[in-house]
Amino acid sequence: MGAKVFILAASLGAVMTVPMLAHHSFGSEYDSKKPLKFEDAVVTKVEWTNPHARFYVDVKDANGKVVNWNFELASPNVLKRNGWTRNTLKEGDHIGVEGAAAKDGAHLGSAQKVTLPDGKRVFAGSNTEGQ
Amino acid sequence: MKKYFASAAMTTAALAAALLLLQAPADSQAPAGDAKAPGKGAVKGKGKGRARPTGPTPRMADGKPDFSGVWNGGGPVGDIKQGLMPGEEISLTPWSKKIMDTRLTKDDPEANCLPTGIPRIAPYPWRILQTPSHIFYLFEGNIHSYRQIFIDGRKHLVDPDPTWYGDSIGTWDGDTLVVDTIGFNDKFWFDFSGHPHSEQLHTIERLTRPDLGTLDIETQIIDPIAYTKPFKIKFTATLRPGEELMEYICQENQQDAQHLQGPAGPPER
Repeated sequence: MGAKVFILAASLGAVMTVPMLAHHSFGSEYDSKKPLKFEDAVVTKVEWTNPHARFYVDVKDANGKVVNWNFELASPNVLKRNGWTRNTLKEGDHIGVEGAAAKDGAHLGSAQKVTLPDGKRVFAGSNTEGQ
Repeated sequence: MKKYFASAAMTTAALAAALLLLQAPADSQAPAGDAKAPGKGAVKGKGKGRARPTGPTPRMADGKPDFSGVWNGGGPVGDIKQGLMPGEEISLTPWSKKIMDTRLTKDDPEANCLPTGIPRIAPYPWRILQTPSHIFYLFEGNIHSYRQIFIDGRKHLVDPDPTWYGDSIGTWDGDTLVVDTIGFNDKFWFDFSGHPHSEQLHTIERLTRPDLGTLDIETQIIDPIAYTKPFKIKFTATLRPGEELMEYICQENQQDAQHLQGPAGPPER
């Protein structure tokens, strides 16, 4: 168990610096100059699917209105290689999300960091290289 | 299955441990998969991220290099120009310039879960499986597909139907496998930038495995409809020992293409 935890951790650490491109051009879909940061987002759905895993969260906008956002992660395989499982995020979880917004103005983002319910901030499998 | 679907509690513990290492230099850590590599050479800490394994070139029973293994990289992703060999240049014909100037990123076949063709390699692990008569490329992504190269001495098909991976014949030049491919369709793009080609595309790839962890792929692109002269590119794939391919069905939940904006271009735009 201890060794396995270390291996997963080592794998995560190692992959952090390795660019992994997605199947589409990141810069054509998301704008790294439009950062998103939600501190209390409630997970409403998780899609452990390809080409990207996704989660949907309810967040309150400046007027207190609840808006549902769709966040793209890496593929499930990339996430698994980085220590995630399909149960890392669950419906009802209160999480934090940092990412980049879609260029077309949809309530769509690319997740870069996720703060889990226990406060741990983890790599989310997306960056400006399109991970 | 248990290997990948650990409990949520354990994942949380793993991620917690991982956080302690986030700032540590990647070079100091052996990737998880390497521990499982049977009888492989040492892992050399060189460059960023996952180290390239070292060791002698594996060989088949007949002494020819064995390219088998799980690889990462080895072809263009963002822009084919990134692999141009010294002295080479890409010279578009008016026909291909017009196509390239009007391509939109949303129409990139790869973004729409269609194959990469050749020489593009999607940024996901892929496996070479080599037998005395065939070499198969098994792609995890994008898409979950395969390519086959015949190395049994046969000739090209006569007037092959145009296909995404074409008709590939491999012959040996010493320790170099020379892969000659014709019979392509004109549907795939060479990269995010949208470099085009016609059905006249003819590729000559030279594959070498100078050591355990390195697969060099030099590709000559010959297409008089699209390029005024042939040009050569070179990309290097890195062995991922202990890695296994995982299922990746791109069509399952593809939501990207409809959000892609603007003309085709490399990811750093």
